[in-house]
Amino acid sequence: MAYALCLLLFMIGLYCVAVKKNLVKIVIGLAVMEYAVNLFLIMLGYRAGGVAPILTRSEVGPKGELSDIFVSRAVDPLPQALVLTAIVISLGTLALLIATCIRIYSRYGTFDITQIRRLKG
Amino acid sequence: MNDRGMSIIVKTITGPVKVLIFLFGINVILFGHLTPGGGFAGGVVLAGSYVLLMLAFGKGYAEQNLPTSLASRLDCIGALLFATVACLGAILAGSFFVNFLYQRYLPGRLLDLVSAGTIPLSNLAIGLKVGASLYLVVVMLSVFGKDTADKV
Repeated sequence: MAYALCLLLFMIGLYCVAVKKNLVKIVIGLAVMEYAVNLFLIMLGYRAGGVAPILTRSEVGPKGELSDIFVSRAVDPLPQALVLTAIVISLGTLALLIATCIRIYSRYGTFDITQIRRLKG
Repeated sequence: MNDRGMSIIVKTITGPVKVLIFLFGINVILFGHLTPGGGFAGGVVLAGSYVLLMLAFGKGYAEQNLPTSLASRLDCIGALLFATVACLGAILAGSFFVNFLYQRYLPGRLLDLVSAGTIPLSNLAIGLKVGASLYLVVVMLSVFGKDTADKV
């Protein structure tokens, strides 16, 4: 059920990219698609009753051994690390897209992709 | 310079708050191997303090404080430091990115600040890199805006 909602969110982003004619709205649609994929990956790593995979003083015994609760209930940190990396990359691409949009606006004076058709040197 | 930027209320509050944000960013970077956070999150917070300065006092003031050339240099230093740490692992311990400091030179106890070998160094490098380059991204986007006004 939750995965279906993820797919729905992705489709909303895809609809926005495919149908909207405003460049800024297309960029927003791309961002929504990225968020849907991130949400999907995070939900793959979800575990009911899990604890964060971060060691604190309360989880480490005097000789450096881990507590039983931590060992048996810590979630997998791999999807979270993956999503963190994906967020970093999406930040970079978003900055690039916005810069391109500003460039296009300064040259054509509009965000409408149906009017950005002429090649200008 | 005084009439640039936002109102006197925002400028007054920005004074102490920018220091707190900057220190919080440094804290997040330095404790990145123990608590949630790390190089990227701390770098974003560092860049956020300068973006706040830029929004409150205008772009000129922030560029006086941290010129673009210096930010660009910090950016490159961060990348270089990260690559150096990775290559030192290859030279000293045999393979790329290996944590050569951890067992041999810096044993350190669990959950201490100085405990994870090269990971805090990498965090520092990434924090420098991300902070400087995010600041540069915001500065460059505002330069685009000025460019438009000149051209059209």
